[in-house]
Amino acid sequence: MLRLNDRVFGLLMLALAVAYGWGAQQFSEPFGGGEAVGPRTFPTILAVVLAACSLYLIVRPDPGNPWPKGRTALEMLIAVAVLIAYTLILEPVGFIVATMLAIGTLCWRMGAPPLRAYLSGLIGGIVVFALFNYLLELPLPWGVLAFVEGH
Amino acid sequence: MDTLNYLIDGFGVALAPHNLMFALMGAFLGTLIGALPGLGPANGVAILIPLAFTLGLRPETALIMLTAVYAGAMYGGRISSILLNIPGDEPAMMTCLDGYPMARQGRAAEALAISAVASFIGSLIATVGLILLAPLLARFALTFGAAEYFALFVLAFATLGGITGKNPVKTILAAALGLMIATVGIDLSTGVQRFTFGTLELYEGVDFIIAIVGLFAVSELLVFIEEKAGAGREMIRVNKLSLKWKDIREILPTSFRGGVIGFISGVLPGAGASLGSFISYTLEKKILGSKNRFGEGDSRGVAAPEAGNNGASSGALVPMLTLGVPGSGTTAVLLAMLISFNITPGPLMFTQNADVVWGVIAALLIGNFLLLVLNIPLVGVFVKLLSVPPMYLLPMVTMVAFVGIYSISHSPVDLYFMVAFGVAGYFLRKLEIPLVPVILGMLLGPEMEKNLRHAMQISDGDWMVLWSSPLSITLWAIAIAGLVLPVIVGPILRRRMKAGAQPD
Repeated sequence: MLRLNDRVFGLLMLALAVAYGWGAQQFSEPFGGGEAVGPRTFPTILAVVLAACSLYLIVRPDPGNPWPKGRTALEMLIAVAVLIAYTLILEPVGFIVATMLAIGTLCWRMGAPPLRAYLSGLIGGIVVFALFNYLLELPLPWGVLAFVEGH
Repeated sequence: MDTLNYLIDGFGVALAPHNLMFALMGAFLGTLIGALPGLGPANGVAILIPLAFTLGLRPETALIMLTAVYAGAMYGGRISSILLNIPGDEPAMMTCLDGYPMARQGRAAEALAISAVASFIGSLIATVGLILLAPLLARFALTFGAAEYFALFVLAFATLGGITGKNPVKTILAAALGLMIATVGIDLSTGVQRFTFGTLELYEGVDFIIAIVGLFAVSELLVFIEEKAGAGREMIRVNKLSLKWKDIREILPTSFRGGVIGFISGVLPGAGASLGSFISYTLEKKILGSKNRFGEGDSRGVAAPEAGNNGASSGALVPMLTLGVPGSGTTAVLLAMLISFNITPGPLMFTQNADVVWGVIAALLIGNFLLLVLNIPLVGVFVKLLSVPPMYLLPMVTMVAFVGIYSISHSPVDLYFMVAFGVAGYFLRKLEIPLVPVILGMLLGPEMEKNLRHAMQISDGDWMVLWSSPLSITLWAIAIAGLVLPVIVGPILRRRMKAGAQPD
């Protein structure tokens, strides 16, 4: 078993601890002179704790879990990209269409037949939209479907 | 007799028609969430928080609903253990041992009904325990000063991994990360900007609701994709229920014992529901001796862990409500709920927000009756919903998470944060860094720093004040034990649990 995971993570966390600790030292003392616990005290303690833990991980790492490879890794990247795209188009395109596209793609990539996947996305989107806009009165964006709203 | 009066007032709150309606809705949703494989109760409550928030519910109504969700999720967890042999969360593991064999013998309906009755008894006992113990502990906690609170928070983090936890260093590391995230934003007592990088969105800090939903729900989606578990698993069909009074009478003593053990392990720091269900299962096996057929589908083997599990989940509310220190993932999420309604949990809540506390406790009692009534006839509905494959279910859950977060602030930036937390949550899970301490760090960070400040101001900068009273020394000692014990006792206990999990 590889023990690299914890080592690399430990190094990253050590870097974070140093950066965070250094950042904490830059905070100005509050007006009126030093207090026992200023804005930098608590963060400094945390930086020390984090640094100690990451050093331990570097020295005594646990066996790591294998990372996804090839297709699986690609599918996961696609899923993250879909979530980012969902956020990106939510307001301009509107909730229903964005949900159909994003949630449909997720269902499809997880193994559902494409037509059923996008249909599920569409139905899910319409149900939630209706629930939020009419029953709960929390408006979600109409987007490209705004013409439906204009009575 | 104060307690009784408060409890009667609490029933007044909980029985108000709209509160009752939300309790019913919560119980139903909770069972559903608990039943879905992979979505543990912490996930479920996390996804519903933004909804409760955006619905503009009053604090007591929202809390009653989420308490019902919490109780319901514990009930629901047993459905997938029994029918699919997949525990919804760790404490449900022991239910698989006898529940699944029972289902395979064509007694699935009986297993489900018996576990519902055992869950009910376990919760009921623990709720009575909560009613008796919580006010006492709250009164005791009034004597805590700032230094004691600081030590208590350290204790909470130290024991969070639990006695069966794997690597305590990873728990501390996770807690440190959470606390660091909590320091982002404008420092409340000095007004200094910390780690905001001049970004307006960071001035008020990182919203822990966004972090919770991202870490739990979004990372779950990624884990499912990785495991290619989209199609779901073969499920056992449910037979027609034929339950006799004798069957119920047979499990009563087991359920009572399980409930008491569960309650105790729920209250104690570091024990938790997993240990509760494990101890009650193994103890019952010993008590019944040669009369048991544990592991082969003994109904008492279903009742024991279920009563223990549900008892522990009500017991875990004791430290959360009285000290403001949650002992489990789900109670941490409930704490998040309280904080976002500007209610500071802890001893003062019992005097300042008595209606909320006692309303919640009464709701727990009422919720249990609702759940028992819901669970026996409606089990067919839950089973149907369980057969929806994850490839449709998880994207829908993701959509609910998006809608919930978006409707709080109508800001896409929050959604980006949520996705980022989801990806980070995935990596942390792969590295076996526990997520609950991260959340707890974000929740308790501001209070912890405030108490440190108060303690130091009183002592005029003398650090010795943190361990100067007998009480705080005791708390520090327990905290250190909480870190050291898992290293020594943990491997033995884990091996035993594993050995117990295999039919012998």
